[in-house]
Amino acid sequence: MSKQQPVLFHIGWNACINCGACVAICPQEAGFVSPFDTIAVDRPCDIACLLCEQICPVDTITHERVGIPVASNGVNGQ
Amino acid sequence: MPPVDYDVVIIGAGPAGSTTARFAATAGLKVLLVDKRQELGAPIQCSGAISRHALEQVGITPDEEFIHEAIYGFAIYDETGNRAVHDYRSLKPEEYGSEAGKRPLGYVVDRRRFDRYLMTQAERAGAEVWLKTEGLGYTPQADGLCTVRLLRYNQEITLRTRVVVGADGLQSQVGRWAGLQTHIKITELAGCLQFIVDGVETEGLLEIVTGHEWAPGGYAWVFPKGHGYAEIGLGVIATMTDQPARWHLDKFMTQSFFRDRFANSRILEVQGGGVPLAAPLRTQFADNLILVGDAARHVNPITGGGLHTAVAGGKIAADFLSGHLADQLPLQAGALEAYQRLWLSELGDKMWKLYGIKTDIFHNMNIPERNRQLYLTMADYFSPTSEFKKI
Ligand SMILES: Cc1cc2nc3c(=O)[nH]c(=O)nc-3n(C[C@H](O)[C@H](O)[C@H](O)COP(=O)(O)OP(=O)(O)OC[C@H]3O[C@@H](n4cnc5c(N)ncnc54)[C@H](O)[C@@H]3O)c2cc1C
Ligand code: SF4
Repeated sequence: MSKQQPVLFHIGWNACINCGACVAICPQEAGFVSPFDTIAVDRPCDIACLLCEQICPVDTITHERVGIPVASNGVNGQ
Repeated sequence: MPPVDYDVVIIGAGPAGSTTARFAATAGLKVLLVDKRQELGAPIQCSGAISRHALEQVGITPDEEFIHEAIYGFAIYDETGNRAVHDYRSLKPEEYGSEAGKRPLGYVVDRRRFDRYLMTQAERAGAEVWLKTEGLGYTPQADGLCTVRLLRYNQEITLRTRVVVGADGLQSQVGRWAGLQTHIKITELAGCLQFIVDGVETEGLLEIVTGHEWAPGGYAWVFPKGHGYAEIGLGVIATMTDQPARWHLDKFMTQSFFRDRFANSRILEVQGGGVPLAAPLRTQFADNLILVGDAARHVNPITGGGLHTAVAGGKIAADFLSGHLADQLPLQAGALEAYQRLWLSELGDKMWKLYGIKTDIFHNMNIPERNRQLYLTMADYFSPTSEFKKI
């Protein structure tokens, strides 16, 4: 996996249709999800491939870059 | 064998999970079926088209409880609006029609009612069902069994079972619990959006609109939805467009050859989802675990249809498990590969072939030529002579 700067996703809940497409495309390990059938929004993503933003049928995912790489999961290249 | 709470715990009560549960319970296994939702099938992420054959093959009686409207054939359009029609009312008038003694070719079902109906049938066959229960994880044990962790109304519960069935749909986490490679390539997941509308006439046909102009990487559709309603939707592949599905649906409705037909449409529901136009997972099993339905990417890569394959796959999974468990065969160290082999021979090999056809079309970078190929392939796929008619 690439060593991108981690990102924190934001979901515009008003447009989200809870379809789960972002989760299906996501290369993270199990559990990088929210209670609303979307990718997680409460912790940074260290892969930062942004495929979820591309797939979303209503274009409602955005992100901000964050500084701290998360060391809690094995996909992390640290 | 050490004692277990259940022979089989099935995560997800969609069509795949409920069908697996029904056949497994009928075969005498002790089955627990769980789903995290409060109302199955909602929010709807499906157009609900399924053939009568697919229902009957797994013993589902077409019931008014879940049928929106009967279907008698297909109309496939090219990018400019020319169409090929396969209307079974005129192709085989003695068999298909709405008159007494004749039958429909298929149905558009209401997924909320369909999923609830299938769950009820599983319960009546003896399966236990827990709603508001989320699967959290599982751990194979040294004694050859496994534990599965559930969260039910905020209470964590750990159960011992012989096999966990992942029937948790497109966003499947169960395969990932076992470290299986389940995420779909961006070039193979169609982002879909659909509107249920009033004010659009339909003619008992599933209408499929091809053409890069309207749905790059996928296709658009107009389905009858009963009560005089219709559904207009499409799916696109993100790498073939800079715009989301919603933008394309808006364009299809206001600029395509159907713009006059859609001019008075009023939107009643907004639905969407992802459809894997992908190959089935290469590995659909792990220790004490198998996958079925969308979770295993058991979706027709040409049509995106996954209902038939979900219920057919559910029966295959249950038949396999009842035999395998009755014979007290091992459940770890690759023993469940036998499930995948059975699935491939009954369903999967054909799906791999469809995947090959689909891949050839979309690898063609010449857009007019690709449009032509997709149109011809779709027109042929739905024809009465198609070799894939029963998928
Ligand atoms: C827009 C769209 C249109 C479609 N149209 C058609 C069509 O016309 N015809 C057709 O044949 N197919 C269609 N499909 C495909 C079809 O919807 C799927 O293939 C089908 O729903 C797969 O069934 P399933 O049982 O595998 O999964 P699902 O129906 O997705 O069911 C999975 C279930 O698992 C539950 N679940 C998930 N995670 C957990 C967990 N951790 N714990 C507990 N429960 C969990 C979910 O709540 C859900 O109830 C369409 C799909 C989309 C997106
Ligand atoms: S892909 Fe978009 S609409 Fe679908 S669940 Fe994710 S954020 Fe919501």
